Amino acid sequence: MKKILIIEDDLLISSLVQFRLKKDGYETHLVCDGNEGILAIDALNPDLIITDVMMPFRSGIEIIHHAKQSQPNTPIIVLSSLGEEEQVVLEAFNMGVADFIPKPFNPNELAIRVKRILK
Amino acid sequence: MYSFLFYTILEVFGLIFLILSFSVIAIYLILMALSALEMRDFLRKNRFADYGDIVTSPIAPGVSILAPAYNEGQNIVQNVQSLLSLHYGKFEVILINDGSKDDTLQKLIESFKMEKTSYAYHPEIETKAVRGIYRSKNMSYRRLTVIDKENGGKADALNTGINIASLEILACIDVDCILSSESISRMVRPFMEETNKKVIAVGGVIGIANNCDVQDGTVTKYRVPETTLGKFQVIEYLRAFLMGRMAWSRINGLMLISGAFGFFRKDLVREVGGYFPKTVGEDMELIVRMRRFMDEKKIPYKVGFVPDPLCWTEVPETEDVLSRQRNRWMRGTIETLQLHQALRLNPKYGILGMLSYPFWSVFEKSAPILETAGIVYTAILLVIGDFSTVYFVALLLMMYLLSLLVSSFSVLYEQIAFNRYKDKNDLRKLIWIIITEPFVIHPKVVFWGLMGHIDFIKGKGGWGSMIRTGFKKAEDRKNLAEQTTT
Amino acid sequence: MIRIFCWTIVGLLLFLPGWIQAQEDFIPEDSVEFRDFLILQKEVTGLGYRFFIPEAQLPDSLHVDSLFQFSQTVSGFESRYFVDFTKAKELENTLINKGVSYRLDYIVLSEVVSTSAAQEYLVDLVRDADYPIKRGELKPTEDFVSLASQTPYSPTKQFKLKFLSDYRLFVVTVMIIFFFLVASIMIVSMLSMKAGKNKRENLQKEYGKRIIAPLTSLLFEKELHEIQEMELEEIHSFFPKNLLARPMYQHVLIDNIIGLNKKMKGDFKEKLKALYKKLGLDKISIKTLHHKKWDRATMALVQINEMDLVEALPEVKKFTNSTNFHVRSMAVATLLNLSEKVDLIFLRDQTYPLSLWQQMNYLRIIRFVGSQKGLKLEILFDSKNQSIRIFGIKLVRILGRVDLIEKLAGIAGGVSEEEKEEILETYAALGAYMETAFINDCLKSSNRALSLAAAKAAAVVGDSGSADILVDLIGAETVFRKKHSYLKSLYGVDKDKFAEVTLNNANPEMLELRNHILDPMLQNV
Repeated sequence: MKKILIIEDDLLISSLVQFRLKKDGYETHLVCDGNEGILAIDALNPDLIITDVMMPFRSGIEIIHHAKQSQPNTPIIVLSSLGEEEQVVLEAFNMGVADFIPKPFNPNELAIRVKRILK
Repeated sequence: MYSFLFYTILEVFGLIFLILSFSVIAIYLILMALSALEMRDFLRKNRFADYGDIVTSPIAPGVSILAPAYNEGQNIVQNVQSLLSLHYGKFEVILINDGSKDDTLQKLIESFKMEKTSYAYHPEIETKAVRGIYRSKNMSYRRLTVIDKENGGKADALNTGINIASLEILACIDVDCILSSESISRMVRPFMEETNKKVIAVGGVIGIANNCDVQDGTVTKYRVPETTLGKFQVIEYLRAFLMGRMAWSRINGLMLISGAFGFFRKDLVREVGGYFPKTVGEDMELIVRMRRFMDEKKIPYKVGFVPDPLCWTEVPETEDVLSRQRNRWMRGTIETLQLHQALRLNPKYGILGMLSYPFWSVFEKSAPILETAGIVYTAILLVIGDFSTVYFVALLLMMYLLSLLVSSFSVLYEQIAFNRYKDKNDLRKLIWIIITEPFVIHPKVVFWGLMGHIDFIKGKGGWGSMIRTGFKKAEDRKNLAEQTTT
Repeated sequence: MIRIFCWTIVGLLLFLPGWIQAQEDFIPEDSVEFRDFLILQKEVTGLGYRFFIPEAQLPDSLHVDSLFQFSQTVSGFESRYFVDFTKAKELENTLINKGVSYRLDYIVLSEVVSTSAAQEYLVDLVRDADYPIKRGELKPTEDFVSLASQTPYSPTKQFKLKFLSDYRLFVVTVMIIFFFLVASIMIVSMLSMKAGKNKRENLQKEYGKRIIAPLTSLLFEKELHEIQEMELEEIHSFFPKNLLARPMYQHVLIDNIIGLNKKMKGDFKEKLKALYKKLGLDKISIKTLHHKKWDRATMALVQINEMDLVEALPEVKKFTNSTNFHVRSMAVATLLNLSEKVDLIFLRDQTYPLSLWQQMNYLRIIRFVGSQKGLKLEILFDSKNQSIRIFGIKLVRILGRVDLIEKLAGIAGGVSEEEKEEILETYAALGAYMETAFINDCLKSSNRALSLAAAKAAAVVGDSGSADILVDLIGAETVFRKKHSYLKSLYGVDKDKFAEVTLNNANPEMLELRNHILDPMLQNV
């Protein structure tokens, strides 16, 4: 079973994503802020990371940076309410994230992308 | 008979100090209440604020950013780059090189591919000679204009920029300030919200960047400065901005918006003749003159204030530099108040004349003198063993409690509204400063203020002699600032 | 101010020593003078005198003298106690006449003391203002001031004690009470606010957690029509009835559903809206519309807007002319957004001036919905409110409604100068070549701002007539900046005329301006 780590400060959103991905048979883990996110990446060694870019304590950029260093092969999906032209998002792309999904989003669409990436 | 005179004087002084103490307490409590109300309204309004459109909307006004620079070669390129990357639709950056003696201009020309243009400069506001106006053919730098001029001081440099600015709103800033990328859109909002009152200027909050982490033009991690003077200024700035300006803006009585970060309506600034280059308090003087103009024309107007944290600056942490700064501020205040004596208790000028001006005269300008006199008075009472000493010691104690109350409330406001200093240790340090400040640092500030008065009296040979001293001060501030940063 | 202060300090320094001296200087130290002084005083409180005769035998005449009333002691005879020094002095002469050896003792508080001790006692008395000194007649030869300085002036002290301490005590007490009262009110209210806020937040967090599970399962496991057809009982199995009745729980539900609606796409949005109505939250939103706090009312409008509560629109319409800026902005935005067919009459009839901020928000919505809803912008031209008319003209420009140029031309003649400026800008933006007559009229206007606006429009859509007017204006203009603007326009209309004017001119300014206008780097400055 593939492990997916979801880092997102809005508990409702992350629960929805978790619910949807569980239905597809993934093992999912939720954390709510950047600090926990970094700890969880090291502890869980996930197969995929879904993260927001604007979060308390650590920015998404720091998380991506950390993940790319400790587990360079783990794909990352960025979920954000910022537009694609924003500086932070461009930066994230440059760091080699697998996909970018802007909010508002459809959890079903997210599930399809996850499936594609993990194939 | 002499002792009768002596007692009469003591009596009169005692009465004056009693009235003063009472008004200090009453006014500060009122200010606290007003700022609390204003803060509440601000937080409520902010819930409905949507800044999404403002960057692209054709209805949003254009902003000309004016940044004077004097011997800033070290960081100028980086500073201009961050100004050019601000998040806003219609804006230009006008950098005014005020006759720097270092390589400020060369660095700008090289880094931004600037070329001299054939700009026809015929100023509306008189300024020192302009040596050249530069622009770039490179489209990425299309927003930038560099003016190279003879040295004339900050006000003169800003006036040159005002002559050239092509957009409706002027943003006068210090080039070494750190600006949040949202700063323009937030500061423009009050101008856009005007309905039946003309918004003539908008002031912002200056945050202290010492010891903080800065990333992409925004402070990402707040830490209190390491020195006592630095920490003291954190408290002082919170008090001034979250308490003082917030309260005054509620009753539309703002007399000062920071020279390091202020937005103005260009037409009006031109109409009143721009900055007055012969005073060291040019930022305050301009606001007072603009307000006076509006009052005299009987046009309803407003001076806005935005409490969002948008601009940060490094404050001086050595006594030497800080004392010069305070000395200059005091002289600026005295000069402005002297220039606009017509406002004093003049009902024609509404709140400006009846409240703001008297408040500044008594509590800002004369505060160091009155405080010293109060201490001397209490000391005399102690020496002659007068019975009423007890009361005056009680009053002093109450003043101390008031200072604790005001300072802790401003820290509290900060915590409620923005919650920037998250570390408990930082808060503890700030509280320690709040408790000790009245004994340790406040006397120094009072002394620097007194020195400002003395320097003002010394230099009183007419405004002419002010130019050179004003410029000299600006110069040695820069030199000293460089010494401290390197 | 400083000067007054310095003089006061100097004055105080001068006064202090003199004043201390004045207290002690007038008790004579010389014993003869001291006696004279005592004669003058007659009686001094606590000070008495007594004769002492250190002999075994006393002449009978003295022994029986009732004035002296001698009594025998171990070492000799003591007279009675005299209070008045003049009396003692009189009797002293009798003793001298009789040739008896005697001693005059000073008695302070029934103890025999030395002369100097008696003097000290007097000094103390005077200092504490317990005893007013009597003096001899003023001798005109003596210096008046030095005499005056010897006066302790006790009335001051009395006046001071009574008046000074009283009013200070009063004022300071009032101040302290006032201060502590206000300060404690502020602290208590702050603390209680904070406590209330914490409690609310904790409850919100708790409810927030509790609604996650039912919301997610509903959204993923039920189809839209299933949600719409759900029975009340079934709903209560997801959201307990007793909780659903609590305002705080409703509030959390509203917040979360709206927050989710913003972040979701596709059929989830529809499901959320259906759920919102099923839970009866729409009724709460509509009820809050009338809340007396403006922020609550605005919040309700936001909810109506987000959740497409079309049935609330008649209510919303009542708020378009609200006294509160935020309420009326949000009401107008909601109406623009939700109305099936947007009739701009409510905007036309608004009496408050329209701020740029409102214009920006309305523009966004109008841009978004304008094409589908067939907006009749021209309604706004009939508004009695100038700012609304101006907004109407701006909309024509920004939305590129070339079809409305004719309507604009119809009103252009009779409107205010500000509106004319706006119309000119619109003509330039939409390329209204047929309206040059109006532009040329405005160019000739005596109103400088209008004439400059017309010049800007002429640069784009001007004709040869505009060029001629511009040449005249350039010749007559004295303000450099304005001359610059006219020249720039002329360059736009007719490059040949521009060359003619700038090259065949003795004025060096003209050449400067020519270079400026032709400089490619200054195109947009």
